[in-house]
Amino acid sequence: MFRFTTVERSDLYGAVLEAFGVAGEHLETALGIDAVRERLRAVGWAAAVEDEDLHEALRKLVQWELLDVVHNHAENYRTAEEYERRNLQYSLTRRGEAALAGVRHALEVLASTGALQTAVLEAIADRLDELCLLSGEPASADRRIFSTLRELEGHLEALVENTKAFNGELQRLLRAEGADLEVFREVKAATVAYLQEFLVNLDRRGHAVAAAVARVEERGTAVLRERALRGAELPPVAGEDPAAAWLESRQARWVGLRAWFLPDDGARPRIEQLHDIARRAIVSLLQVLERINESRRRSSSAVQDFRELARWFAAAPAEEDLHRLWSAAFGLGPARHAHLAHPDPELIPSSHSWSEAPPVEVSALLRTSGRTERFTRTAKVRDVAAVRAGRAERARAERAELARAWEALETDGPIRLSSFGTLDPAVFDRLLDLLGRALSARPDASGLRRATTGDGRVEIALSPARDERTAVLRTAKGTLAGPDYVVHITAVGGASAIPRVGGARREAAG
Amino acid sequence: MSTLANQLAVAEREEVARAIRLLLARPLLTEAADPAGFELVRRRREPLGQWFDYTCGWSLVVEPRRGYARLTKVRADPDGSRPARRARSGRAPFDRRRYVLLCVTAAELLSMPMTTIGMLADRVVQATAADRALTAFDPVHKPERMAFVDVLKLLESYDVLHAVDGTTDAYVESAEAKVLYRVDTTLLMRLPAAPVGASRLTVPPDEVPARFESLLAGLVRERRYGGALADGTTDEALGETAASDAQRNLRLRHSVLRRLFDDPVLYRSDLTDDELAYVTSLTGRQILRRSVEQAGFLLEERAEGFLLVDPDGLATDVRFPDDTSTARVAALLLLEPLCAAPAGLLPEQLAEAGAELLRRFPRWAKAYQSDDGAARLADDAVRVLRDVGLARRAGGRVVACPAAYRYRLTETTSPDPEGSRGEQP
Repeated sequence: MFRFTTVERSDLYGAVLEAFGVAGEHLETALGIDAVRERLRAVGWAAAVEDEDLHEALRKLVQWELLDVVHNHAENYRTAEEYERRNLQYSLTRRGEAALAGVRHALEVLASTGALQTAVLEAIADRLDELCLLSGEPASADRRIFSTLRELEGHLEALVENTKAFNGELQRLLRAEGADLEVFREVKAATVAYLQEFLVNLDRRGHAVAAAVARVEERGTAVLRERALRGAELPPVAGEDPAAAWLESRQARWVGLRAWFLPDDGARPRIEQLHDIARRAIVSLLQVLERINESRRRSSSAVQDFRELARWFAAAPAEEDLHRLWSAAFGLGPARHAHLAHPDPELIPSSHSWSEAPPVEVSALLRTSGRTERFTRTAKVRDVAAVRAGRAERARAERAELARAWEALETDGPIRLSSFGTLDPAVFDRLLDLLGRALSARPDASGLRRATTGDGRVEIALSPARDERTAVLRTAKGTLAGPDYVVHITAVGGASAIPRVGGARREAAG
Repeated sequence: MSTLANQLAVAEREEVARAIRLLLARPLLTEAADPAGFELVRRRREPLGQWFDYTCGWSLVVEPRRGYARLTKVRADPDGSRPARRARSGRAPFDRRRYVLLCVTAAELLSMPMTTIGMLADRVVQATAADRALTAFDPVHKPERMAFVDVLKLLESYDVLHAVDGTTDAYVESAEAKVLYRVDTTLLMRLPAAPVGASRLTVPPDEVPARFESLLAGLVRERRYGGALADGTTDEALGETAASDAQRNLRLRHSVLRRLFDDPVLYRSDLTDDELAYVTSLTGRQILRRSVEQAGFLLEERAEGFLLVDPDGLATDVRFPDDTSTARVAALLLLEPLCAAPAGLLPEQLAEAGAELLRRFPRWAKAYQSDDGAARLADDAVRVLRDVGLARRAGGRVVACPAAYRYRLTETTSPDPEGSRGEQP
């Protein structure tokens, strides 16, 4: 069908078809060769065309079934030549009409710029509201229902098409680099402004449309479609009844509408995706703009600068000069300073010469063996994290040890001191500390001495021994002998107050 | 008022001082290379920017999200002691080939956000072929590929290139290596620090050697000190007179402090008359002392000049004295005969001193055990000393600079039997 666009002289074929199209708009359905020539000029075909060529073009179009040819016997011809020339009347076939429409559409798409129009959203909401109203009116309103429904569909189509085109353009805009930067910047800046404008109230408009859709559906869309069908007064066509197909098409459009504003399965309406796209586009456009601005600052000359520097390096007189050029052009060289200082620099007057001032202390090992003691090297950056982690680890270990000690010492009730028997040195230290605190406390009315540890978490109750027995406590470091007190050690708030590490020493207290 | 506020002020002072020294040592500090250091700079970027702008007239750009901080160091008198270095081969300095390739590669990279090593090499081949001033790049030869890899690795170390897939080193073995890079063109554009773009000083390639000095000077000419125009055509004398007093003061402050904060030693004899007048003036001295203190350095002022001591060793690329290489240890020991000979040492005397060292430390690096080893050792040691401002060449001799005396021996120590058994690096 579109063969004529790809062969030689396709521009002529296109123009001829266009000429028929324009004629069709004036309700002229058949054209003779002279009329075609006339129309050609009207559609902007300025070049001269030989009769031969035009004939050939028309013949080809007929061959491709884009044109029909009929003989016109109604006129009077004076010569055979004239007859041959004039009697042929051409008209567009259905294929020809479709081909023309296709090409026109293609050109239109090429020329059009997409847009996100808030006005379209408003229009959709308006039409839906109108449908809602009309559905309550009697049969006389069928035609208006039909036209309103078609308008609604038109707006929806415009929305979809425009959005598609706009998004496509946006992506092309983001991809295109290295175009004329000035123009580019302006276009992008304008696009960002436009998008921001569009995003304002998009939510509200989207919700308004969704609400309108819901209202119309309450009234029943099937009925509405039936009435629109009646209002449409479809022309009779050969073959099967077009009504079913027509209704189906309306149904499909309605589903499309719902997908945009009020999807069935609770999915995100596509209008919200528009939100995301627009927002993402703004972000990336701004990034591109930033990059352009950044590169504009120096890029025009940066490449040239690097190339020129390469030539200078290639031609620099001496090796030393290479390094000087590097240093001057790039300034990436590190500073260089001494690191050995006098213990008390203030003591040496600044008027002294270096040979008078005492020397700094250089590691003797370095002079004698060529090595420095490692402690003279400090880490490049003090690694606070490692120190902190070490400290935390130590603290954790200490807490765990403490917990273990308390667990070993905790008693189920008052017990004799001697029953502790053999103890771990660390646990023993804790016990000694507790006993010390208890013994320094004044006994209460019942003769009980009570004390708690510094953090108040462990309590001891100590009562004097009832007999003269001596308790002997053993640790790995030695033994302790003393009066066999009765002690009761409890963790405040129950044993759970002490983080449990393991019950290994339970029996020692038993 | 409260101790908390005092504590915070102290913490800020310390952090700023530390960050200043970090940036001095690394004018391009990336988050990837030093996360803790970058975090510090990011947090304190405002006082840091002010300090660098006031003291040295250097701008500091911190890009928190892109993860880099760039201090644009401009020096009117660039020295050759701090070259670009290879990441491999014992950090040898870049040679002419590598510098040229670096610039050509950078120019090509500016136009692409992503590239592969092969495509990049192709473009470098084309770019060098198109420029008659440059030797064509030929990746067929391994030395060329190695040079190219060194260039790419330098760019990687600056985070300009990021290998997304593959490793750059593979290219040394085969030009077919597949490495995919992401290019940070913004950062790449920040690499040149010179206030004047080289392309504004364009000269025909064959005139570059003769006009090299004026090109260098033109590259670092700054407008704000008045007079001189950016195109480098202004007559020097006219430029000087056209500057206002304020601009003159600014120039003096920056030129003195830039050298003080960047160089190992600042000798009074190297300063011009007006620079000297500035550092001996009351204001100049105050500013100098205050800025040194703010940066956390110790100022060592002597009759012959100034030097900064950074006890933490943050603000320096190398340390002296140090034991990281035989030449460095030899340099320290070489100071002894050098300081003892105020007139300086001739090359033969230096070679003899080198031989003496090799005799004293028979286990020293095998690299110096050949016939000319002693001379090479002496040469390398002298280079170390020159790099840290402790020695210079005068005529055919090597002379100790005044600051060398701060490393002289305190008391004579007899050869230590403990030390001589120590193994060598």
